[in-house]
Amino acid sequence: MATEVIWWLFALGIIALSAGVVFSRSVIHSAIFLIGSLAGVGVMFVILTVEFLALTQFLIYGGAVTVLVLLALMLTRADPSGRAEKVNGPQAPFALLAGIGVAAVLLVAALSTEWAGNTESPTNIAIEAISQRLFEDFGLPFILASVLLLVALVGAIIVARQEEGE
Amino acid sequence: MLFADPLFGLPTWIDAIIRIVIVVLVMTVFVIYSTYGERKLVARFQQRLGPMRTGPWGLWQGFADAIKLVGKEDIRPKNADRWVFELAPYATFIPVLLTLMVLPFAENWGVRNLALGVFFVFAVLGLNIVGILMAGLGSGNKYALLGAVRAAAQMISYEIPLVVSLLCVVMITGADTGNGVGTLNLNTIAALQEDRPYILLQPLAFLIFFTAMLSELHRAPFDIPVAESEIVGGYFVEYSGIRWSMFQLTEYASMWGFAVFGSVVFLGGWAWPFGVDSHWALQLATTFTKALAIVIVIIWIRTTVPRLRIDQLMNFSWKVLLELSFLQLIVNGIILYYDWPQEILALTSAVGAGFLIFLIIRHASARSTKGLLGTYRTLGASSS
Repeated sequence: MATEVIWWLFALGIIALSAGVVFSRSVIHSAIFLIGSLAGVGVMFVILTVEFLALTQFLIYGGAVTVLVLLALMLTRADPSGRAEKVNGPQAPFALLAGIGVAAVLLVAALSTEWAGNTESPTNIAIEAISQRLFEDFGLPFILASVLLLVALVGAIIVARQEEGE
Repeated sequence: MLFADPLFGLPTWIDAIIRIVIVVLVMTVFVIYSTYGERKLVARFQQRLGPMRTGPWGLWQGFADAIKLVGKEDIRPKNADRWVFELAPYATFIPVLLTLMVLPFAENWGVRNLALGVFFVFAVLGLNIVGILMAGLGSGNKYALLGAVRAAAQMISYEIPLVVSLLCVVMITGADTGNGVGTLNLNTIAALQEDRPYILLQPLAFLIFFTAMLSELHRAPFDIPVAESEIVGGYFVEYSGIRWSMFQLTEYASMWGFAVFGSVVFLGGWAWPFGVDSHWALQLATTFTKALAIVIVIIWIRTTVPRLRIDQLMNFSWKVLLELSFLQLIVNGIILYYDWPQEILALTSAVGAGFLIFLIIRHASARSTKGLLGTYRTLGASSS
């Protein structure tokens, strides 16, 4: 019961923060709301007792992605004070269309899928089982994915280098 | 997730609150006395006496400072972004507090015993940067912004060697647990070091961890984000009073957290040298002594080594520490795969550590022709 109340409280919080991302007047505020919203999703994972997923959520989305966003904002913006500015361009209607489309696809997928597992009493999967699957059963796809990321990293450095040299 | 049965058979959430209060109180006492201890030690290194007036040998100086800071006016610049500015100190403090929640101070004693302890520390450390970026963006000050950019660049760069050096230790635990699977549980990692601390097996990983830790803590010689002679005070230049002291609290609390974490992972935590069966008070004293030793070395380094330049800092992370940490990881993998004895592990790592020290000494003693000074020299030579 108590867990359910906390769950709904966090769900409301995530929705409020996500609304903040969309409706806030300054891009920096949007980015900070985004951090809160993603961290809230991480807390949802904690409530579901999938610790590994929760920590990965914090590590990747809370730590890495949003820091990247904030850093990009910092380096590209002349005015550091984060005052209100115009964020809506002529692309706004298309963005709305894309947003509604993604939301519809996600909703249909979520509602029509037969989910494995039980949300009433979720099972905690040991980290050993996850690493077994990741590094032994699916070792080759894992390595291929990391090679892909490495190639992207090297490519990004080369692209950035050429601009610097000219 | 729980360490042991709750204290006095209380409900688990009350037990958690009691444990959190104890850990936070210990942290606060440490913070107050580490500011005093740092001033005292730095003074001694510089042939001064340090604080002497407040109480015997100045022992109440930390409390006096804390009261003064709380009484100061809380100023907010006019063009600051109000909520970002005001929430930033708390946003920096939360990750540090979360880190303290998983550290085992004695056998089975901490707030929570997570199976993913080391991974939890990585995940939470990443959030550390958010508060600093908020302070830099929200202050409406170019120096604060510069400090935050420097801090973010530095912390992102040094996080990689830090994490990889800790992964090396996690690999080693696989040979000790018996079933060949390593552990991420900090309590178990400490218990596995009953006979020898992992610093003997992994001196290179420890050196990398220690260097990266100095950088994550913004301590000299990596205090570029808070360099007072270059950017006045870094990301917290606009803060005063209680909010400024939150930043100071965060700095010293994370020093405490890192010191305990390092002593648990590398120096044997509560288990070495008295064994896992020793009395809990002895275990607690062991952990605290090791953590304090790390803190004293950090302060010692601050008074010894001059501040690096930002390009030297980045080069050191990306061109030296990253490669050496990956090398350590690969060598560990080969040795563990073929089940070679642990002496080989210690030997290879010691060779690597010697190589790292050689690199640093050679670089420090070389008459440099690179970098800003080198460019200046070459330009001067060609024009004259």
